[in-house]
Amino acid sequence: MGIFIQQIVNSLSVGSVIILVGLGVTIIFGLTGIVNFAHGEFVMVGGMVTWVLVSSGANFFVALLAGGVAVGALGLLLERTLFRFTLKRPMNGFIVSLGLVVLLQHIVIRALNTNQKSILDPMGDVVWQVGSVRIVAMRLVVVVITAIVVAVTFFTIQRSRYGMALRASLADRETASLMGIPIRRYIAAVFAYGSFLAGLGGALLIALFPVTAFLGTTITVRAFAVALIGGLGNVTGCVVAGIILGLINGFSAGYGLPQWTDAYSFGLMILILLVRPQGLLSGTEGPSVG
Amino acid sequence: MHVVTRPTKLGKRIRFSRGAAGAAFVIVALLAAPWITHSYRFLSIAISAGIATITLYGLAILFGQTGLLSMAQAAFMGVGAYTATILARAIGLGFWSSIPFAMIASAMVAGVLGVFSLRVISAQYFIIVTFAFGALFSIIMINGGSFTGAATGLDVGPIGSVLGINLNKIRNFYYLTVFFVLASILVTYLISISPYGRTLRAIRENELLARSVAIVTDFHKIAVFMLSGLFAGLAGVLQAHFLQHISPALYETFPSVYLALMVMIGGPRMLYGPLAGAIIIYFLPEVLHLDPVDARIAYGAALVMVIMLLPSGLIGGFIDLYRRATARARQRYGEDPE
Repeated sequence: MGIFIQQIVNSLSVGSVIILVGLGVTIIFGLTGIVNFAHGEFVMVGGMVTWVLVSSGANFFVALLAGGVAVGALGLLLERTLFRFTLKRPMNGFIVSLGLVVLLQHIVIRALNTNQKSILDPMGDVVWQVGSVRIVAMRLVVVVITAIVVAVTFFTIQRSRYGMALRASLADRETASLMGIPIRRYIAAVFAYGSFLAGLGGALLIALFPVTAFLGTTITVRAFAVALIGGLGNVTGCVVAGIILGLINGFSAGYGLPQWTDAYSFGLMILILLVRPQGLLSGTEGPSVG
Repeated sequence: MHVVTRPTKLGKRIRFSRGAAGAAFVIVALLAAPWITHSYRFLSIAISAGIATITLYGLAILFGQTGLLSMAQAAFMGVGAYTATILARAIGLGFWSSIPFAMIASAMVAGVLGVFSLRVISAQYFIIVTFAFGALFSIIMINGGSFTGAATGLDVGPIGSVLGINLNKIRNFYYLTVFFVLASILVTYLISISPYGRTLRAIRENELLARSVAIVTDFHKIAVFMLSGLFAGLAGVLQAHFLQHISPALYETFPSVYLALMVMIGGPRMLYGPLAGAIIIYFLPEVLHLDPVDARIAYGAALVMVIMLLPSGLIGGFIDLYRRATARARQRYGEDPE
């Protein structure tokens, strides 16, 4: 029983990072129709920015914010210069993102190197003992930050007037436009915010595990798995899917099958697409923005 | 814009002779290449480029004709390579006899994946599922134990000789690769001029419309995906016998990204586009003496620029520019522009 609860606790922190990254994919893909395969590379860049800042002496939480903001700015720049022109032909946007995968990965290798990067535990390796369960303080911090970010995102999309305008523009572009909603600006903002989440996820990831420049594609597949399993554009679905994948991760690692971890998430994604293509909790109608 | 007109007899003859001249040029250039330089390095890069080209023609039919982009082509090469290698090790099957098995295995895997991902789901979902499959394939091979050789992979014996020609000599292996490359170009050409090619293009241009004129789009999409698997399976067998060692790293998702990059840079709808793309990507770093990391930064930037500026690929883009320039010149001299 002790091991069981321990695995659940461990899974939650891994699940948190998956949720943050998947949230970025689900809002970008679900709300703007851009399939950005460089999302995992954005995560990697966020981790690397944090690593550079922390190793030159910055406080981790400052570096965390800087990592998120830097990648958010990168996302905004790329949307304004590239993805904006591919909205009518999503396939071109996808191919551009493939170019970015190669580009970003090798720019990071050129600027740094291919070695594993890690930082010291920002919480100073504090571990709390609750009964038979050990809770690493940093992991709890990751869960709390994720919970705050998810709550803010959820209420912005579901409750604020900006979120309402965003959902309106998704439901009917032309009418929303006629109501005076600046759709192009919303798309840019969503892309920048999703990228910010990727940067944040990368920064939290490097606080938990070492990161290399080759991290991107695995993260991309997992993030798309979470987004598709949960239902595109559906924040709640993304959280549910992230927790499920986190648990699968934790238990397969805890009970001795760590090498199959990724296979489970891809297998689950293919299964979900087969029996319930709209995702566990149904998402938006998908990328219909033309 | 292109206006559809019935070609005149003279026009047909001119177009045919231009096509024949182009084909003759490509054939002569490929056959003559080993005489330009004898270096082992040159020939081995050329063979790698040729093996990629075979896969690229499968991808070109899939993407250029049908409009479906797959990120699993490297994994299908892997299915072919592993099938050939395992058959060679288990029952001693040679190069030629393993080809049909490997091609069919790749096509079957593509078929199963296609049934899952192509029937209900839009083009973007297809990309994501194929990408996930690419990642899944290398995980399965790494965890396959001694059957798949785990992360270190498997060794396969040398290819041997055919009709008294020793294919272990690298120049002969080069000609073998050229033979398969030319065969893939021919098959692609025949498909593109056949009624089947028109069916595929109809699906690309407007799937709903195609369905409404009784084209069974699901069937054709799955079939053409399997066809692209045949090409990749063949390339996988060649690669296994060329390298004489295969490992999961050759067939994960990144090689698929490079295949997509090559087909885009060359131009997926041009007959010689994939060949040009493979030659550019494989030989450019050699010619410019680029460091591999710099070369990849350049590829990434090139891919982004090609899509933004020349969406029909480098070759297609140059032809468009040439047509526009000649049309303008003709207008200036008072002739009708086509």
